[in-house]
Amino acid sequence: MPLDSSPIQILLVEDNPGDVRLTAETLRTGKVANDLHVAKDGEHAMAFLRRETPHTGAPRPDLVILDLNLPRKDGIEVLAEIKQDDSLHVIPIVILTTSAAERDVLQSYELKANAYITKPIDVHDFIAAVTSIEDFWLHIVRLPRA
Amino acid sequence: MHPQTSYLGTADGRDADLPHQAVESLFNAAPDGLVVIEASGVIVVVNDQTEQLFGYAHNELLGVPIEVLLPESLREVHTQHRAEYLRDPTTRSMGVGLELYGVRKDASRFPVDINLSSLHAGPDMLVIASVRDVTGRKRAELLLEANRLELERSNLDLASFAYVASHDLQEPLRMVSSYVQLLADRYRGKLDPDADDFIHFAVDGVQRMQTLIRDLLDYSQVGTAELALVAVDTNELIADTLSSLEPVINDKHAQVTVDPLPTITADPTQLGQVFQNLISNALKFTAPGVVPRIHLSAARGPDNWRLSVEDNGIGIDAVYAERVFAPFKRLHGLGEYPGVGLGLSVCKRAVERLGGRIWVDTASDGGSTFSFTIPDAPEGADATRQ
Repeated sequence: MPLDSSPIQILLVEDNPGDVRLTAETLRTGKVANDLHVAKDGEHAMAFLRRETPHTGAPRPDLVILDLNLPRKDGIEVLAEIKQDDSLHVIPIVILTTSAAERDVLQSYELKANAYITKPIDVHDFIAAVTSIEDFWLHIVRLPRA
Repeated sequence: MHPQTSYLGTADGRDADLPHQAVESLFNAAPDGLVVIEASGVIVVVNDQTEQLFGYAHNELLGVPIEVLLPESLREVHTQHRAEYLRDPTTRSMGVGLELYGVRKDASRFPVDINLSSLHAGPDMLVIASVRDVTGRKRAELLLEANRLELERSNLDLASFAYVASHDLQEPLRMVSSYVQLLADRYRGKLDPDADDFIHFAVDGVQRMQTLIRDLLDYSQVGTAELALVAVDTNELIADTLSSLEPVINDKHAQVTVDPLPTITADPTQLGQVFQNLISNALKFTAPGVVPRIHLSAARGPDNWRLSVEDNGIGIDAVYAERVFAPFKRLHGLGEYPGVGLGLSVCKRAVERLGGRIWVDTASDGGSTFSFTIPDAPEGADATRQ
């Protein structure tokens, strides 16, 4: 990634504006140039990914950060649809949710989520978690180019 | 009372083998209704209790078929059963596993238990049915079942409350906490002294609220989570507990000594929580400047182990020795010793669920010893105990 100077495209699927802001602030000061796009529910996320109106000009995300508890289409459904879609399934998906329930963890990995993170309660831990997502997925690993 | 009639002088004039007076007294003193029938199914004798149970006078019953005392729907099948009994007249309960009913003269029904025995053999055989009204027992059984269902429901309510507390309450609180914390990080010392105070109080309140929610969750889960009873090596459990408390122990330079401890049957998570709470308290409730000394020991009881956590802390006034185990009961201001007052309630609930008890002894020279018992093999040691 460091060889390519165009910013990394991240889609954050999150309905809680407080978490959107925290994530955005953390990523803004990250190591790697990135553009953060936010979808407030599952339907919005799928429309963005499939470039449906009004998202016809949407960039293809290099990474999706996905909450599970979303209005309308929930995170598990979004995960399943992305992983079943031949044009989207290689996009890494990091689940970032308040749920620590074992069944959510298991179901996410069964549906081929790339990582599962429970939102830390302490704000400093939360920032550290987002920083480590940024560091690992945007800096350390090599992602497929669309 | 009846006139002095010997009911064992039977309708056809046969005599029983015992003196009439004695037999009759016994017969009428019996707590159950006693009904004697011939092989043909005709009633030949009834006692006083039978009259009271069924509402007939005895002479209304003599000479009529026994089926008159049964629900109409069962009369035909009963005639067949009676014939089978005559072929194998052993003493036994009737209709084991079935709900039996008697029918009174006024046609009302009542649940009964019936025992059968026989006198004589062959064509002169007499069958004695002992009839007990079990209305009270049935009612108690129904009440017990209703109470059990109610308890199950309220436990489920509590479990779902725990879930709501964990998720729905923690979520907005996490937002408050995050942004108040960010305010503190970014603006402490940059506004004015009042603002710093306000931020401090807000951060402090939020942190206490988070502790409270976590403790409430512990408290409700310790009462509702299924118990997984296994053999627990308490030495290992204590080692784990102490390592999780290491930062506090080091910070306070506390001296913790541990005697050899037994292996006991318990739920390791809940037992771990008991030790965790007791040791945390021993570390917390110390006088300023005093190095905490904590000693863990075990003593064998007749059918249990007693485990004790002894400290050199501020101690507890004997007056409050019971009260400290009640939820939200605190003996000190928040400024002195922080906490929400649920730790010992969690211990009490966990220990009692394991079939033991917990108490505190206060030494005359200060310090206190919290002890609890865990029975050797808890009664009904399975995962479904309430």
